[in-house]
Amino acid sequence: MTNYLEVKNLSKSFDSFQLHNISFTLPKGYIMGLIGPNGSGKTTTIKLILNMLGRNGGEIKIMGLDNIADEQKAKAELGVVFDTNYFSDDWQVTQVEKSISVFYPNWKSERFAEMLRKFHIAPTKKVKELSKGMQMKLMLACAFSYDAKLLILDEPTSGLDPVSRDELLQILSEYIEDGEHSVLFSTHITGDLERAADYITYISYGELFFSGSKDEFVDLFRIVKGGTEELSADLKEKAVGVRTFPTGFEALVKTEDTVAFSSLSIEPATIDEIVVFTSKKGDDYE
Amino acid sequence: MKLIISNVSGVPIYEQIKQQVKAAILSGELKEDEALPSLRTLAKDLKISVLTVTRAYTELEQEGFVKNVQGRGCFVMDRGSELMREQLICKVENGLTDAIKAARIANLPSEELHRLLDILLEANTDD
Amino acid sequence: MSNTLKVTKLDFSLVKPYIKVIGFTMLLPIAFAAINRSILTGVSFAMCFIAMTTGYTFSVTEKNSMERLYGILPIKKSEMVTGRYLFVLALGAIALVVSLITQPIVLRAMGERVGAFDMISAAIGGLFLFALYTVFQIPGYYKYGAIKGRVFMYIPVAGFLATLFFLPKMPADNPIVTTVVSSPVLLIGLVLVLVVVMYAVSIWFSIRIMENKEM
Repeated sequence: MTNYLEVKNLSKSFDSFQLHNISFTLPKGYIMGLIGPNGSGKTTTIKLILNMLGRNGGEIKIMGLDNIADEQKAKAELGVVFDTNYFSDDWQVTQVEKSISVFYPNWKSERFAEMLRKFHIAPTKKVKELSKGMQMKLMLACAFSYDAKLLILDEPTSGLDPVSRDELLQILSEYIEDGEHSVLFSTHITGDLERAADYITYISYGELFFSGSKDEFVDLFRIVKGGTEELSADLKEKAVGVRTFPTGFEALVKTEDTVAFSSLSIEPATIDEIVVFTSKKGDDYE
Repeated sequence: MKLIISNVSGVPIYEQIKQQVKAAILSGELKEDEALPSLRTLAKDLKISVLTVTRAYTELEQEGFVKNVQGRGCFVMDRGSELMREQLICKVENGLTDAIKAARIANLPSEELHRLLDILLEANTDD
Repeated sequence: MSNTLKVTKLDFSLVKPYIKVIGFTMLLPIAFAAINRSILTGVSFAMCFIAMTTGYTFSVTEKNSMERLYGILPIKKSEMVTGRYLFVLALGAIALVVSLITQPIVLRAMGERVGAFDMISAAIGGLFLFALYTVFQIPGYYKYGAIKGRVFMYIPVAGFLATLFFLPKMPADNPIVTTVVSSPVLLIGLVLVLVVVMYAVSIWFSIRIMENKEM
């Protein structure tokens, strides 16, 4: 299996924040969600992959190419979507193509036109006249026009309405359908990922919490629920995180630890619940 | 074949796919050697993870319902296979048990029950 | 097309919305030429003004957070920088040509005589001033950005005022100055070498700044 993205022991230090030993691998043909609360290091990781920040340690390979030594070759295969567009507001859509296409030898003008039609983007509109969802689609249209093999999206769904979010997921699943394309997708709105992502990489406070298949990730934990008096010391001890309220409690417990509490209500955990409970634990440490 | 994924059932998505494929095979909707929907297309259509569908298909293969032909897709195993036969017999037994229970409640003598079965068998030989 | 040229082309598309302002900037100095009845003054003003407009590329980039676009394009940082310098030089060259065509027409219509020597010295003077203004300005923008670096936009103005102030005070009888001025070929050669050296140093600085910059 070919890997489209390999990140090994990636580290970066800022004055007030550190990214430690982040490692993950995204194989060809799959979608990976990069998750974690705000400020956990998702955008830093993406900027390090793009060599927009200089790393302090580690190694990054994009389609087998070193992201620094072979930066230009790697970037020619890479499509990137940020939470806001990176074109000039005053450009018309046609001007976007004129300005960007020259940099990509594989650029197909017919493909760009086809994408504009598919996404209902009027070529004569100025970038600033497009809605946020449309601007995102314009960035995608560009990436598809040179057949970018790896798509990296940084918080693409923040500020999008549910319809646009759904459309994005549709576009991404179509993109990887042929098995020749991969997607790395950072988000704190994990509901988006719940279904479409194949892999999850969860970064919490600059540390790697988990990287692997989504099903495996969701299967790691269960939500145990019960009345206040049922919250035993043993359960408190074993729980990764507990939320109590006047009529009861909810706790995130490792799946292997749930055997002891089979009398209580045990439910599968959502990605959101795992992130919420595990980051609260992180707070306690600080 | 109809495949519907529920988000609220609490049943994992791969399990839902497995159950529905099995049901389609048992009901005869999916015939011997018929191809299952392409893994990646199904993932796209249902907007679910490719790995989830892979897991469902792999488990179906391990359980002997389908065979995976490299590069061509997944195909339904022939209905005569031991496993499928067992499952079908089990289904027959369950159905008959239900019928017997109902007959008891209705005080239907066993000869009458046999006769009913014969009539139904006769009526169904046409198709 | 080389990557540098592609970046230059991208820069032209960045300043496209300002095309009217830039056109006006190129033509306004005709008035200065007419008032002073001197093509040297007119061209000097033109080059000073146009040097100010080269900051538009930086402000448009910054306003739209386009450093992210530069961050994903498959080009080297050095190519981004040389492309920007090429754009600046191209803009300067256009302004110089426009001034050298329009200003003599207006001056001649006013009855002034504009000879070949006047034209050459205006061209050389204009080129030198433009280089002087931009070689400090561009690394300043790279280092401090278009907003904080706005002060660098006024380097041309300060430079121009300084030139106006010091030029008459230059000792005209200095033997070196006399030799150089009396030999146009030597003067042109000297200015060209100086301009090339200035840009080489400025580009080197800008590339260093860009390569150490985190976006």
